[in-house]
This record gives sequence, C-alpha cells and structure tokens, in this order.
Amino acid sequence: MSGLLSDAFLISLVAGAIAAGIPLLLAGLGEQVSEKAGVLNIGIEGMMLLGAYTGFYVAFLSGSLWLGFLGGAAGGLILALLMALLCVRLGLNQIVIGIALTLGADGITALLHHVQFSRTYPRLPAVDTLPIPLLSQIPIIGPGIFDRHPSVYLAIIAVFVLVWVFRRTNVGLNLQAAGDKPAALDAAGVSVTTTRTLAVLFTGMMAGLGGAYMSMIGAGIFIPFMTGGAGFIAIVLAMLARGHPTWVLYGALLFGVSLSLTTALQVGGVNVPTDVVQMLPFAMVMLVLVIFARRSALPAALGLPYVRGQR
Amino acid sequence: MAYRAVRNTFLTTMAAVGALTIATGPAQAQVEIIAVMTPEQGTDFGWNQQGVDAARAAGEAMGVEVITAEGLGYGDVRPTLRELAGEGADLIIAHASGYNTAAPEVAHETGVAVAIVDTPEAVEPGLIADYTLSGHDGAYLAGILAANMSRTDTVGIVVSGEPPSWNSQSAGFALGARAANPDIDIIYAVIGPAAYADAAGGRRVTESVIAAGADIIFGQGNGSTFGMLQAIETTPAVDGEQAWFIDVIGDKSSIDTGFLLSSVVWDLEPVYTAMIDDLNNGDFGAVGYEIGLEDNSVVLLQTEYIPPATWTELMEVRQAIIDGAVDVPAIFDAQEVRALMTTVDASE
Repeated sequence: MSGLLSDAFLISLVAGAIAAGIPLLLAGLGEQVSEKAGVLNIGIEGMMLLGAYTGFYVAFLSGSLWLGFLGGAAGGLILALLMALLCVRLGLNQIVIGIALTLGADGITALLHHVQFSRTYPRLPAVDTLPIPLLSQIPIIGPGIFDRHPSVYLAIIAVFVLVWVFRRTNVGLNLQAAGDKPAALDAAGVSVTTTRTLAVLFTGMMAGLGGAYMSMIGAGIFIPFMTGGAGFIAIVLAMLARGHPTWVLYGALLFGVSLSLTTALQVGGVNVPTDVVQMLPFAMVMLVLVIFARRSALPAALGLPYVRGQR
Repeated sequence: MAYRAVRNTFLTTMAAVGALTIATGPAQAQVEIIAVMTPEQGTDFGWNQQGVDAARAAGEAMGVEVITAEGLGYGDVRPTLRELAGEGADLIIAHASGYNTAAPEVAHETGVAVAIVDTPEAVEPGLIADYTLSGHDGAYLAGILAANMSRTDTVGIVVSGEPPSWNSQSAGFALGARAANPDIDIIYAVIGPAAYADAAGGRRVTESVIAAGADIIFGQGNGSTFGMLQAIETTPAVDGEQAWFIDVIGDKSSIDTGFLLSSVVWDLEPVYTAMIDDLNNGDFGAVGYEIGLEDNSVVLLQTEYIPPATWTELMEVRQAIIDGAVDVPAIFDAQEVRALMTTVDASE
C-alpha cells in the first residue's frame, strides 16, 4: 500500500482541492460583481448548471475544451439575460426570480440530458495540463497546483484583474455606486440600469464558466443536478468576502482544501462520524471569512430595484 | 305455500349473505394505478432506473397502470405527491430516501398508500410501507471478487451518502473481501452527506482513494457513480496498471470502456409486485420486503474480465449463502460499517 503520506496521495489531495475550488472561485467572482452593483443573484446556481451542460455539450461535440468554455459562458449568459430583464429592467423580486431561474435550469438541463445522453453517458478524456516551469517541480504542491489545465491559471489571474477593475477603473467606481448609491450614479449621468445589466451578464458568464469547469474538467461528464448547491456556496463566499476578490479566492481555496481534508481524514480512518467530517468545509470557510472579513460591508442598495426619483 | 317457500328462501339467502359479509369484512379495493417517483431520470443504470423499470414490469405483470415521475430532484416533492394522488394512484412508490418525510405526510393528507425507503419506523398498516432493501449478500460476493483480483491488496469503497441500503452493501463488501484475504486493506470514503449527483466529487474522492493504493473501487453513488467511473478510466492504480470498478444496483456494461469488473445488480420487480398484492390483500404496511440471491433479485454481474476459476468459486460461495452455510449479516448502521474498514497507514 502506498500510504497516507505517499506523494501520489498528497498530490491527489492538492489537485482535488483545486478542482473543487475553481468552480466556486469563478462563480463567486461573478456573484461579487453582481452584488457590488446591487443585484443579489440567487439564480447563479442555475447559471452554473446550464453552463455545465452547455460547456460539456460543446466540448463533447467539438472535442475542444476552450470551445466548451465558450459554450458554458453562453449558457450562463442566457439565464443572466433573463435575470437582467426581469430584475434589473422590470424590477421584479431578485430572490424569487433567482430561485425560479435555478429551478428552471434544473428542469431544462435534466430534460436535455435525458434526451441526448441518458443512454450513453459519454465522458470526456483526461485533460492536458500546462506545467509551469520550476514551480511545477516543487514536491507535492508543484504537480498539485502548477501542473493544471490553463483555465486554472486564468481563473486565478481573473481575481487580480477584478481587483484592478474595482480599485483603479471607472467601471469599478460605477459598479460600487450602482450598489451603494444608485441615485448618485444616476445623477452623475451614468445609467444604473445599464451598469447593473452588464454586471448581471458578467455574473452569468462567470457562473457558466464555473459550471463548465465542473463538468468538463472536474467530472469529465455532465449529470443532472451535478452542481449540488455550489452556486449557493459561491453566493456565501461572495457575501462574506464583501467586495474583495482576493477573499473569494481564499474562501474558494479554503473550501477546496477542506474538502480534500475530509477525504484525507476518512482515508486515514479518523474515528469520527462522517457527517461531522463533511461539515468541515462549510464550517471552516464561514468561520475564517466571518472573522477576517467582518469589517467590510455589503452594498447599501443590495437587492433593491432602482427606480429613478424613488427613495 | 309457494309464497312462504319463496319468502323463506329469500330470508335464508339474505341471512347467509349477511353472515358472510360480517365474517369477511368490507371488500378490499383493487389496485388499478401505481406511481413511482425518482429524484433522477430513470436512465441512470442504477437506483433510479431500477425503480422505474421494476415498477413498469410489476405493473405489466399485475395488469396495473403505472405513472412515472422522474427527475424530481432532492427538494420538496409534496406538490408532485399530491398531483399523483389526484391522478388516481392507489399506491405511490417514493423511490428516494429524501422523500421519506414528505410521502407519509401526503399519505395522511390524501389517504393514498405510499411506499418509502430507509424509514421502517414510519410504517402504518394500510397506508405506509417501507422497503429498505439490502444487497449485502451480493456485495459479499463482490468483496471476495475484489480481494481475489486486487494486485495491491488494497480495495476502496466510495459512496455518495450513507443510507442504510448502501451501508449494508459496504459492510457486505468489506466482510467478503476480508473473508477472501484477511490481510487486505479496505479504504472507505464518503463524498458528502447526500452527494448523490456530485459527479465531480465522485471523481475527486475516487482519484484520492486510488492514489492511496486501491486498485479496485466498489462504488455506490447514483449520478456521482459516473464521476467515479471517470476517475477509474483516467487514473492508473499505484502499480501503473489500470484500476477496476464494481458497481451496484444497475448494469453499466453497455457504456463500459473496459473498466467495469462487476456489479451487484438488483431486481425490484418482486418487491413492487408483492406491494401491489399486499395492498389488494390488506397486508400493506404490515409486512416487510427483501431481495436476495435465492430468487435472483440480487445477482453478481458476470463480465469477461472475471477469470472462470474465480467465477466458479464465487458461485460456490453464492450457493453456500443460499444454503445457509455462510451467513452474511446485514449491517445498516454507518458507525458499525466504518468499524469494519482498515485505514491507510500514515507511517508508510
């Protein structure tokens, strides 16, 4: 037996943490943009699921993961368009619409899967990785983190792009204003509706990418309901991170690490009930983010539709 | 005279009919429609498909109409239950442990009989029956098979939850493996509390269990099973050779690419047929249901990858179980199941 401290096992745990964390990171970053603009996007779970389906479908047909990611982004975008239309343009209740979109995505993806794949369950081949020179040579961590599919590196780069956008650009300021003081943004001549619409569309795209990563790389297959609440975890990460993209990164990775830790504890035969072990990821992420991100505040107009002239 | 004779005959006949009615009680309503509800589509080569296929087969055998409601997910199914009751179902088979709270509630509300799983304490004669089943005998055979074919002397069990039916199969597998090779190491990992559709989690955990040394994985997981299968297909065992998968409940041979060693296949048709019979006879909710090797409602799938000599040995053990020479206990408690497992040695 290779043992609990074997390189292969430890590398699999690190790689598993990355595989579990990246979909949450992508969806969490998207949710953060939406929340920053004042839209609580509860439909992100459905956007992930539709992205998972469309991403897998396009990758399966084309044989290209990159086209699959485009397909996943498009899938998320479709639901985001509905969200933007109903919540931002028409001012309907964001929570109700978000739940409805998620339930709708549950149904449509299950139906499409039933029609197309339920007799064959096609799987994608193992993905090619891009080892980063030198870093990938570090024992355990190197192969686990720095020998991944390029989309992993791009997801992490996206965190720092968002940090820059939030801090250094007018787009970031507009998003902040749309969430905190939409009337002030309106008075400055910037359309709150357009700003929020673009934010919601970006969220859908990111959630779709997260779902596509989950189906194409995480699982290599699409299964109905496979997101299993990942979108809601992403919402929690985004809310607890309160406007800081790097905190979404930490939260997503912490969640992934905790999941791998639960596997390690079980394989190691730690004699505690499995339910307790399985609570670990959720408890750890909430504890850490609540402690370290408690000084930040959520946008003042989060969840509220904007109507010009109305207080 | 003739009038008196007719009157006496009439009264005697009425008395006889009355006495017969009192003796037998009210006539039982015959089951005409049954419904089956599944959380995922009945095409998963596993739990959901078995539920739907068996209900259809039982319906055909008994001349009963079958309504299927598939892909309902794991949320609130009360509206669906009420709808099925409204459509005239005499029996609703709620084929998911997640439905065992809602189904009895709606049974009380509508008076329609329901069958649930994993909740034997909820049975009520005439209204609620439980069919918590166990393929532990078949899993025992699978454990022997795994122990005989493992190159690394390490096998893994990956599950997406710990419902009683799966616990008993995990235990059966571990007992069988240990009976064939007392020194074998058995790694046990749960993907999540109810990660039935978590294909990504299934793949992640299975890859780790393979990396920890297991070269044969006994997987129980509904949709997440496909993630396990994907891990087997893309991750070699620690000795560099391919890993093998042993499935449960369904037969995935038609989508196998050379990694499916076997499966503990269930057939629920006898159970559902018995339920309809029991409802007709007034025994519903008063009797339990079982599957097993003897009537082939549990069989170990034979594949081309199992050597003939090993298969012969397995069939001998099967017969010994049927004859009572080998007793495989049904262990439903998760804590007791975990106690049967060994762990990976951290010092190695």
